Amino acid sequence: MEKVDVAIVGSGAAGSLFAANLAQKGKKVVILEAGPERAMGDLVSSQIWSRRLKWGGPPTDSAGKDPLSVNFASGWGTGGSAMHHYANWFRLHPEDFEMKTRFERGLDWPFSYDELRPFYDRIQVEVGISGDAAKEVWRPAVAPYPMPPLQSFAQGALIARGFAKLGLRTSPLPMAINSVEYKGRAACVYDGWCDAGCPIYALANPLTIYLPQALKAGATILHHSFATRVLTRTEGDRATGVEYFDAQGQRQVQEASVVVLAAYAFQIPRLLLNSRPGGLANSSGLVGRYMMAHAGGNVFGLFKEDTQNYLGMTGGQLLSQESYAKDPAKGFLSASQWMIGNALKPNDLLGIVNARPDLFGSELHDFLRTAGKHLATMTFLGEALPNPDNRMVLAGGKDKYGFPLARVTHDFGPDDIKSFEAGMKQGQEIFKAAGAYEVWAGGRVQIHTMGGAIMGRRPETSVTNPYGQTHDVSNLFVAGSSLFPTSGGVNPTFTIHALALRSAEYLIQNWSSLV
Amino acid sequence: MTGAEDSLAREQSRRELLARMGTGLVAITVDTAFGQLTPARARARGAPLRNLDAAEGRTLEALGEVLLPGAAEAGIAHFVDDQLSRENPMLLLKYLDFTTAYADFYKQGLRSLERVSQARFQTSFLQLQPGQKTALVREMSQKDPAAWTGPPAPLFFFVIRNDAVDVYYGTPQGFEKLGIPYMAHILPPQKW
Repeated sequence: MEKVDVAIVGSGAAGSLFAANLAQKGKKVVILEAGPERAMGDLVSSQIWSRRLKWGGPPTDSAGKDPLSVNFASGWGTGGSAMHHYANWFRLHPEDFEMKTRFERGLDWPFSYDELRPFYDRIQVEVGISGDAAKEVWRPAVAPYPMPPLQSFAQGALIARGFAKLGLRTSPLPMAINSVEYKGRAACVYDGWCDAGCPIYALANPLTIYLPQALKAGATILHHSFATRVLTRTEGDRATGVEYFDAQGQRQVQEASVVVLAAYAFQIPRLLLNSRPGGLANSSGLVGRYMMAHAGGNVFGLFKEDTQNYLGMTGGQLLSQESYAKDPAKGFLSASQWMIGNALKPNDLLGIVNARPDLFGSELHDFLRTAGKHLATMTFLGEALPNPDNRMVLAGGKDKYGFPLARVTHDFGPDDIKSFEAGMKQGQEIFKAAGAYEVWAGGRVQIHTMGGAIMGRRPETSVTNPYGQTHDVSNLFVAGSSLFPTSGGVNPTFTIHALALRSAEYLIQNWSSLV
Repeated sequence: MTGAEDSLAREQSRRELLARMGTGLVAITVDTAFGQLTPARARARGAPLRNLDAAEGRTLEALGEVLLPGAAEAGIAHFVDDQLSRENPMLLLKYLDFTTAYADFYKQGLRSLERVSQARFQTSFLQLQPGQKTALVREMSQKDPAAWTGPPAPLFFFVIRNDAVDVYYGTPQGFEKLGIPYMAHILPPQKW
């Protein structure tokens, strides 16, 4: 295998952006994608078929009181998990970057919002985000959105009525989904199949922008190429490439001057831990620690009106961040938000069927018929404070390539749980105020995955520097949500893009000193 | 041609996609000795199961029928059985991060249900009175019944219930039964 400038593990949000930027600067780039090749024409509109897009590789044993969602959250195939993401694109708030400094809790990010802001701004223009900056009053300082907001439908309007009655503000959700044609890409048609993958280029998955850019600039993507180790010279201080197994199960080595780990947050710590006894880039002992998820849940209500819940976007129509501020007076520090009016399908994990998981028999038929027309829902997303004991380790058992499988243990902390419970209480009050004739709350779930290879300023307290460059191995970078020192209370994908752009440009600027 | 380039080349215009919305019949199909069939047709034609044995298939149908009447005829056993042959199954079980073989999850759960039925009623689950079946399934939804040795009963209940809904309502025909517009972007690659 010919040596390349950069070997990137993972073709998702961060990997594809890295590949595009590096290839456009003339670097020879190879992307190793564990799953199969997928094109837009493969994104079948079906919640059953959509499961092909979710993780299909070696299992991770997910343990603890609040087990992280591995297979549902991870991607499998071209584009990784961003192929099935809902494109709710938020910026973290300035206080999210300074949690330790301001509140003596959690961790600080190694830079401020102002430092990341230019990268958010540039991505926002390149990718396109629909929203209403004026109504989104909680939004950090920033330029207006490049597209007007997406449409909202009866479900959103009904729920917004409840917020308004309680004096709570709502705004359109900011989404990386086109409300109008943008840079030659089509506008959304509001059919609610986002989770199954959007094949019309309206939703910004990796096949819309960055992978085509990367391939046009000469990058190569190898599918069915499962990375098992980062290879190093004997001292473990220089990466020499990536070991992977191809579709035929044959061991291969991709030599590279620089290695970028851009896999999903479960695979990056596992790769590092499997690369070397004691773990590669693990002098801090923090590889695999600080694994995080948002504490999420749904409030449901039945309305006498037709909620048109089949219309819109899976991620929702409207937003409220009235509870985002980290105010210790609330009794907990965790930030949170509501994503209002999610488009629903009858089946699947987030389908109407599981709004009432207790029902079966004729009662289930009756509920589905009623709820298909009259159910409304909104999703609570709450911050989880970082905890080093939420951790991935290598466990018993091996994958088919002979490498140890991983176990990840995760418990929410007291703040996270208090925030969630306050949210569910508030959500039910909102639905009652909105006029729902039946209101209930779903259970607590774990949404998104972050941490495991966190960034920071000091090698004793972090795995990478502020650019994702590992402290111990200067030509090894980490990209994606694994870097997050805290979760914030918003969906991570926009921040993943901004971080990846910042890191890719740092890599280019410092190329000669790294290789 | 690479995947992304290919996808660009094969991308249909938005107008074409819109024209197809609501007109496509996105299906789930199973591979059988008679070719690719919907689960319902595979059952109607008596296609043999390949992973579950016949008794397990009958128990799965009986349980599915309690969870969602009509699931047996819709082909729940053939749907599950076919998916168990696939490297990356499209079963909801996948989302529950169950780390052992999926076939074992089903087989152990179904055998456990039979064991409980025999221990409690001295007869097969298939032969129970409707009220007995409902009571046992309700108990499964909340805890492991006495003599249960399979995967956690509430988890088994959750998975089979979702399989039933997948096969009954997770298709264009199922959406139509609920009066929900399907609005497909893209048809699946398989034929009926």
